[in-house]
Amino acid sequence: MIHSMRRAIIKKDLRALITNKRQLIPLLAVPIVVAVVVPSVFILLAHFSPQEMMEMEKLAAFLPPGEQTDGTQQVMLWLLINNIMPAFFLLIPVMVASVSAASSFVGEKEKHTLETLLYCPLPLRGVFQSKILASFTLSMLVSLCSFAAMLLVAEAELLLTLGSPVFPGINWLVTLLFVAPAISLFVITLIVRGSAKAQTADESQQRTIFLILPVMAFIITQFSGMVFASAWLLLGVGAAFALLAGICMRGVPQKISYETLLKR
Amino acid sequence: MQAVVAENLTKIFPQGKKAVDAVSFALGQGEIFGFLGPNGAGKTTAVKLLNGMLTPTAGCCRVFGTDPAADPCGVHKLSGVVTEHAQMYEHMTGMENLLFFGAVFGVNARECRARADRLFAALELMCAKDQKLSTYSTGMRQRLSLARAMIHRPKILFLDEPTSGLDPENAQNVNDMIKRLAHEEGTTIFLCTHQLRYAQELCTAYGLIDEGALLAAGTLAELRTLVFSGLTVRLTASLPPDDIPYTALNGHEFSLTLQTEDDIPPLVKKIVERGGKIYGVSARQLTLEEIYFALLEKRGVKEAAS
Ligand SMILES: Nc1ncnc2c1ncn2[C@@H]1O[C@H](COP(=O)(O)OP(=O)(O)O)[C@@H](O)[C@H]1O
Ligand SMILES: [Mg+2]
Repeated sequence: MIHSMRRAIIKKDLRALITNKRQLIPLLAVPIVVAVVVPSVFILLAHFSPQEMMEMEKLAAFLPPGEQTDGTQQVMLWLLINNIMPAFFLLIPVMVASVSAASSFVGEKEKHTLETLLYCPLPLRGVFQSKILASFTLSMLVSLCSFAAMLLVAEAELLLTLGSPVFPGINWLVTLLFVAPAISLFVITLIVRGSAKAQTADESQQRTIFLILPVMAFIITQFSGMVFASAWLLLGVGAAFALLAGICMRGVPQKISYETLLKR
Repeated sequence: MQAVVAENLTKIFPQGKKAVDAVSFALGQGEIFGFLGPNGAGKTTAVKLLNGMLTPTAGCCRVFGTDPAADPCGVHKLSGVVTEHAQMYEHMTGMENLLFFGAVFGVNARECRARADRLFAALELMCAKDQKLSTYSTGMRQRLSLARAMIHRPKILFLDEPTSGLDPENAQNVNDMIKRLAHEEGTTIFLCTHQLRYAQELCTAYGLIDEGALLAAGTLAELRTLVFSGLTVRLTASLPPDDIPYTALNGHEFSLTLQTEDDIPPLVKKIVERGGKIYGVSARQLTLEEIYFALLEKRGVKEAAS
């Protein structure tokens, strides 16, 4: 019984998120830009840039032993696919989780549908868990689909320009299975925590925009070549976000009650 | 068991507003209880307290023996609530909304669809059931909310201003539906409204509140005894009565008060015996509105004295 109630909420939330035009635009635009446009631009730039510009030896040192090669482009593209792109990619779960959690939690309050939902016989905690799960599911679904799309487009382009594919390495495994879920959870918990205070979904979503800054900083470090993203570094980043999500969730059950949620 | 019990129920909002002030009452199962007072009297706050959406500052309440502050979900299983701010999803159709809320209230899908169909028919929404809510008028939304609140066959319905925004015909429909629910299914109704006339047609018991305080509670007869339980008689005759104080209205019309209907025949007889002609006699008891204002005045006098 409790399960079917939760399932109903999750299904309803997911449907609302993908049928509302206001959310659909950021939900589609960010993944398309990040997963399709950005790698395509890089691949084409690498293809047409003069070879002498690269300090080949320096770069090659970053390659894992199995991937040693003598093509400058090959090295560049390997670094692009496995170091720069994962950092860029994190913009997708940040964006999707933020849009969907803001709409699912604060959007319902804004549209006066939250009160109706709160009169149901499911405990408040259950309502929140279902909504968190809905946002999380959407964030991961969009991330995984974006990854598939990126792989498809990038490999096709690589085959055309380079003549051989550049395969994604362990960094992607860590990014998809650990960093993206952790950062999604952190964004969602941040919004849940503010849901009693926030009055509009936009306001609530803006609160999480600052999260784009560390992701941007991470991207810049990748370009400057100061610290290249290793699987270990990514694991560390993921763990940090998971920890932050945990800290953020503390005290929330005490802070959030029917009364605080419906306050005007 | 009583359907609702409130004991000294009090809610003071954080900013210091005392919205419900030491209210005590009880209402039996199957009753249509009218909780009446002007805007800002504390009706909505009381509904929220009774459903666990607010925690009382003092006192307590129980709905079918369950304390909503301690076990809100226990109360939600038994109750259906219609309030101004409990709206439904614009992007979903009427039917989708009912099916969703049915699922969230634990009604299985097939049963829910059948019940939704019956409710659409009863509330004259059948032709709009597959339209998106965004195309509904205020009245249609109001009726859909009523259907939503009844989808899980609640033992008690809390209706907060259920006919505000409805035209007279639809309001009549809703009234009939409420009466039928109470009579046929034994559903207890907790009805909040500021329209006292509307309530008098419908309710079996009343709670009258003003500025958070309960002025009185009980059946219409009980409330009358607090003010004046006699009759106001309007007489159209060629002669006034000679042994009873009266107020002359225009021409041959007189207004006077009697204790019971049994006092009417002797009154008529005496006038006729004196050679007077009777053109009309009508008698009525105090309306709820008159009782309400009389009670308000009484309290005002008491407060002024203290
Ligand atoms: N959440 C709230 N915070 C502060 N004051 C409130 C809140 N809700 C209602 N009030 C105040 O409490 C009083 C009673 O409100 P309400 O119960 O909505 O009255 P009614 O439903 O009888 O019109 C009003 O003065 C209102 O302004
Ligand atoms: Mg109200």
